[in-house]
Amino acid sequence: MTVAVETIKVSKQYGPLWALKSVSLRINQGESVAILGPNGAGKTTIMKILATHVSPSSGAVNIFGKNAFKHGEDIRKRIGYAAHESFLYDELTIEENLSFYGKLFSAGLNSANPIIESLNLTRWYRTQVSQLSHGLRKRADITRALIHSPDLILLDELFEGLDEKTCNLLVDYFRNQQSKTVVISSHSIEWAKKLCARGVFLDRGEIAQDVNFR
Amino acid sequence: MGFLSSALRIAEKDLKAEFRRAYEILSILVFSVSSILVCSFAWGSTLANRADVAAAALWVILFFASVLAFTTSFTREMDRGTLGGLKTLPCSPSAVLFGKILYAIVLLFLVESVLLVFSSVFLNLRLSERLVEFWLIFFIGMVDLAFAGSFVSGLVMFSEGKTLLLSFLLFPVCMPALIPSVLATEKIVNGSGMVDLIPELRLLFAFLLSITAVAILTFKFVLEE
Repeated sequence: MTVAVETIKVSKQYGPLWALKSVSLRINQGESVAILGPNGAGKTTIMKILATHVSPSSGAVNIFGKNAFKHGEDIRKRIGYAAHESFLYDELTIEENLSFYGKLFSAGLNSANPIIESLNLTRWYRTQVSQLSHGLRKRADITRALIHSPDLILLDELFEGLDEKTCNLLVDYFRNQQSKTVVISSHSIEWAKKLCARGVFLDRGEIAQDVNFR
Repeated sequence: MGFLSSALRIAEKDLKAEFRRAYEILSILVFSVSSILVCSFAWGSTLANRADVAAAALWVILFFASVLAFTTSFTREMDRGTLGGLKTLPCSPSAVLFGKILYAIVLLFLVESVLLVFSSVFLNLRLSERLVEFWLIFFIGMVDLAFAGSFVSGLVMFSEGKTLLLSFLLFPVCMPALIPSVLATEKIVNGSGMVDLIPELRLLFAFLLSITAVAILTFKFVLEE
């Protein structure tokens, strides 16, 4: 099995606080993994490190066999990252936002059409992002993260603030992405179990448990 | 996607977003025009014989207008959480910075155009006589400001009180560009030709090279939290 993500003794320090302490993790290609834990466990930090947004204080991160921070530009072409907050511009419509990100990832707007349809966004495609509700904005941001058909999908706090219908919609969508490696972070074990085959529990920056949900 | 095309896309996106909130551009323009009017009414006829005063006033107004413009650069991306989106892009941090610089150049060019038209009327600047020299100095000075301002905007975006810090830091950083710009403008107003502007042009280009070198070497670290 090809390893998609490998973190080797990754630690991250913010001032006096250790957000992550020697985290070693291997995620195979095509695997769906949930990073779980309470607030301050280090979920968002590890997601940011995997997305190459934040470099670790120590340790190594390899994504698809390459050092993520030495080959950042190449690696980011294969990563789709939707964070806790939306990366969409309020003043632009969904279409304009997707066009902007799509062009930079050398992906046409057409590649977003199936995602738009699957996530029921067609009606709001030409609506300014500032006018969207939280759930719609989240769905649009996920579309933004997937526009270049990434091999590694990172979704931070995927289910937060979403109603049951939207959560089910997202679970159905991502369960169909079997060739992709999906890593989510969540508070909700129930929803994580519905989507992921494996759960990694973090506690105070350390891996407390690594369990198989299936 | 290449460096330049990535930067152009970022600049295009910023301009599109900026023109959707037209009130911000308008406030910058209103500030610039009102400042010229205040200077004109305060100094009145003395301005006709004081090229140094007119040149300094023009650059001081442009500098403060640019501070307003730079608050919409990286600091807004940070405040709205869209900075992460720029970090996801498969391009170098320098391309992101260059995109912001291009956006600032367009914005400042707009402000400068309005400023020069109003200055010719209210500050008695005879632009038509030395139009090429005027535009050359204003363009290079503005590019210097755009480079320095965008870089400083990125530098302060993670700090508290970033808007205040931006104005505090921008002034000393831009000083090496502002002084030759003011001196060159003064020379132009006094009737000097292109040859007389060479020392100031050298300083402006030297500043541009220095700030570019610093930005390329350090911006990767600036962009990280």
